[in-house]
Amino acid sequence: MKRGWITAFAVLLALPANAQDLRPDQRAFRALYQELVETNTTLSSGSCTLAAQKMAAHLKAAGYPDSDLHFFSAPDHPKEGGLVAVLPGSDSKAKAILLLAHLDVVEAKREDWTRDPFKLVEEGRYFYGRGTADDKSLAATWVDIMVHFKHDAIAHRRPLKLALTCGEETNGAFNGAKWLTENQRGLIDAEFGLNEGGWGTMDEKGKRIALNIDAGEKLSQNYQLEVTNPGGHSMRPVKDNAITRLAAGLQKINAYDFPLESTDASREYFSRMAPLTGGAMGAAMAAFAHNPHDAKAAAVLATDPRYNAAMRTTCVPTLINGGHATNALPQRVTANVNCRIFPGTTIEQVRGKLLELTGDPQIKITAQAARSEPSGAPPLTDAIMKPIISMAAKRWPGVPVIPQLDIGATDASFVTPAGIPTYGFTAMFFEPDGSRLHGLNERIRSDVLYQGRDALYDLVKDYAK
Amino acid sequence: MRALISKALVSTALAASLAAPAVAQGLRPDQVRFRALYKELVETNTTLSAGDCTLAAQKMAAHLKAASYPDSDLHIFTVPDHPREGGLVAVLHGSEPKTKAILLLGHLDVVEARRQDWTRDPFTLIEENGFFYARGASDMKSQVAAWVDLMVRLKEEGFRHRRDIKMALTCGEETATAFNGANYLATHERGLIDAAFALNEGGGGRLDADGNRLALSVQAAEKYPQSYQLEVTNPGGHSSRPVPDNAINRLAAGLLKIGGYQFPFQASDITRAYFGKMAPQVGGDMGKAMTAFSGGDMTAAKTLAADPTNNAVLHTTCIATMLNAGHAENALPQRADATVNCRIFPGTSAEQVRAKLQELVADPEVKVALMPARSAEPKGPPQPLAPEVFKPVEAVAARMWPGVPVVPFMSAGATDGAFLAPAGIPTYGVSGIFGEADGNGAHGLNEHMRARSLYEGRDFLYEVVKIYANQK
Repeated sequence: MKRGWITAFAVLLALPANAQDLRPDQRAFRALYQELVETNTTLSSGSCTLAAQKMAAHLKAAGYPDSDLHFFSAPDHPKEGGLVAVLPGSDSKAKAILLLAHLDVVEAKREDWTRDPFKLVEEGRYFYGRGTADDKSLAATWVDIMVHFKHDAIAHRRPLKLALTCGEETNGAFNGAKWLTENQRGLIDAEFGLNEGGWGTMDEKGKRIALNIDAGEKLSQNYQLEVTNPGGHSMRPVKDNAITRLAAGLQKINAYDFPLESTDASREYFSRMAPLTGGAMGAAMAAFAHNPHDAKAAAVLATDPRYNAAMRTTCVPTLINGGHATNALPQRVTANVNCRIFPGTTIEQVRGKLLELTGDPQIKITAQAARSEPSGAPPLTDAIMKPIISMAAKRWPGVPVIPQLDIGATDASFVTPAGIPTYGFTAMFFEPDGSRLHGLNERIRSDVLYQGRDALYDLVKDYAK
Repeated sequence: MRALISKALVSTALAASLAAPAVAQGLRPDQVRFRALYKELVETNTTLSAGDCTLAAQKMAAHLKAASYPDSDLHIFTVPDHPREGGLVAVLHGSEPKTKAILLLGHLDVVEARRQDWTRDPFTLIEENGFFYARGASDMKSQVAAWVDLMVRLKEEGFRHRRDIKMALTCGEETATAFNGANYLATHERGLIDAAFALNEGGGGRLDADGNRLALSVQAAEKYPQSYQLEVTNPGGHSSRPVPDNAINRLAAGLLKIGGYQFPFQASDITRAYFGKMAPQVGGDMGKAMTAFSGGDMTAAKTLAADPTNNAVLHTTCIATMLNAGHAENALPQRADATVNCRIFPGTSAEQVRAKLQELVADPEVKVALMPARSAEPKGPPQPLAPEVFKPVEAVAARMWPGVPVVPFMSAGATDGAFLAPAGIPTYGVSGIFGEADGNGAHGLNEHMRARSLYEGRDFLYEVVKIYANQK
């Protein structure tokens, strides 16, 4: 321990002032989290394999034998590898708990960000950087928990399994979670999995409103819109321009709201959030939960992007690319429209709607490769819910645990159908800006991160007993 | 024109014809040799992204050297930062070094072309049903091949002429921000290319949809090209949680407003003269509108503008050419950019057009900025068309295409003349190559060149250069 103490002291000298009142274990965690955030894991220029190696080094240092550290990668995707680590429990017959997180992050362009997205910058009460929330907050926490269980020899009955994967953020990329379910199903076999999603809800003043647990999610599906044109020299414009045509189509998609929908989980979510939220929004939640066809209530809910996404299929243009020279009429323009499809609606139905909306046979619309098949919601049994509720009652008295439909898409969509019911629960609270996941200047509150880590440590101990 | 073939050439040309493909068998021997040179040039990729102008310049120089140009008259030039964007200046000396030279100018580079978008390989010369297909088949390897060919022939024939004939083949004409060889020569090798005037692309004949020759134009002025960048930035976020303010939608709305706007019609001495001479050729309602326009009736412009080629010289035009936004499929776009390419009518400034675009988009979140200028903005109105340039064109055209009028013309496109004119070398678009009513797919997909137009254009340029070369 002496050596460890000296290391911690050395780290302390390099820390910013606001990190100096951290506990020694938090300082070590902060260093691990920083190392992970600063390892670029974008598909374009990063390496998940490198991040997996760095995380494995921490486990090895904590005493994990090589035989319990399983690196994996596909030959075609050498930089998109991952890690499975196993910590056996005292009862060889007990089924494991799977701690799942993805290492990869969404692309981030330095010139668009205020700060370097691949440096962990602590400013005010926030950590800034790509992945600070999605999903390196959770990945670092899982690694840290695995280290502590081993290092501190915490007694536990069930085996703990950690799976860190790549490719969650990019449809069409090599997906590590999917690969494990298809090729290493035994290695990751578990009673249930804990994963990202189900972040807590915090208001703009930092008040904790609710802890959420994901049961079921919308299906993420990309559609390509394409316009081709003979083109020509830009000195001689013609009326039919590929860019203008596509722009007109996108405007029509943008102006459309998909019909209102609900599930048992989404109605329960709004019903239970209503009294916590209060005001006009709270009243609208109650009204919508009572009658999910109440257009007036839905209109109020729709003013908040989170609630809007929980009531309907949404489609939004995310990428557009066209033209081949500044002085030539565009011959090809493509756009990617990302849809989040409400359970019960098919990929083809949404494509048909997009075609109808654009109303232009020159705009070709194709569904891109599906990320996964629509998956059912795993059951919220007492065995899952009770430890969460008791942990929450102890740490955040009065903050309810509320199931929700995940408006995003996670790797649970691969693992749940493979027979490992996987729940989105992180014990980390997001402010109304959604922590800017996938966006510019992504951030997480430092107190949220540290408390979430403590909460998950307790929760995993409880589950593992 | 058969009588014009030099006897000295026949034997070499005959040998070449044995290797020619079946499609070329109706050609004269000198045409067979020219076709091979044209093919070699077209099949040398000279795009900025993957091509090599320097290589094309070396290949063209090899033909001149084979025709016994001394090395001292062949100047291959490159700058260290742009090793593949070089060019060639060649000089054929006349008997009167004190009479100023004439300069034959052409660019070697071509616009980008993607194999997957084209019907045929853009860098293989394919002849089908009387047309050549390839990137550069028209713009402007047709005229460059004719320049090199005539420089070879004049040397081989021992043609006697008074003035120096200079040829400058350059790179970078097609890309506004690339290294521009003509600009480089005008700035750094002004003496080498000094001339009374230059002949360049920008002029040429115009065919109707059935391939009938309507008129031969001599380019005396050009519109000023300027690109503008439209940019929208946004905090972005996760695409599972769309918000009303989306960068792509905002940009799309702005582009639709620009797309729906028409700049006011304008006229100049050159465009009025052009339409006046075109009117009897075109006939019908369009011909009547041309006559009315040439007489000062601006309401006739609306009828003329129905044809994109006419429309381009009737006013400033602005059109979206490139679009780029977003950084991931599952993230709301943080940045959306578009390029709007404008062709500005003489007398309007680039800044005036920028202000108009900003006014049109009517959204302060859509920022409209000038992209780097290609060349200096022109000062004052264009020079009148000199008779010493115009008259030889009329004379050769009258022999080759009786009844086809020769008309002064303002081109909608920008040429390297924009660099030479300010350096004191007035530059005119002179070519005998007739272009198609569809614009030949220049810069577009499946660019093509009518074989008849190429061969007769070559004959025309040979004749007209011989006249210029003996002017006093």
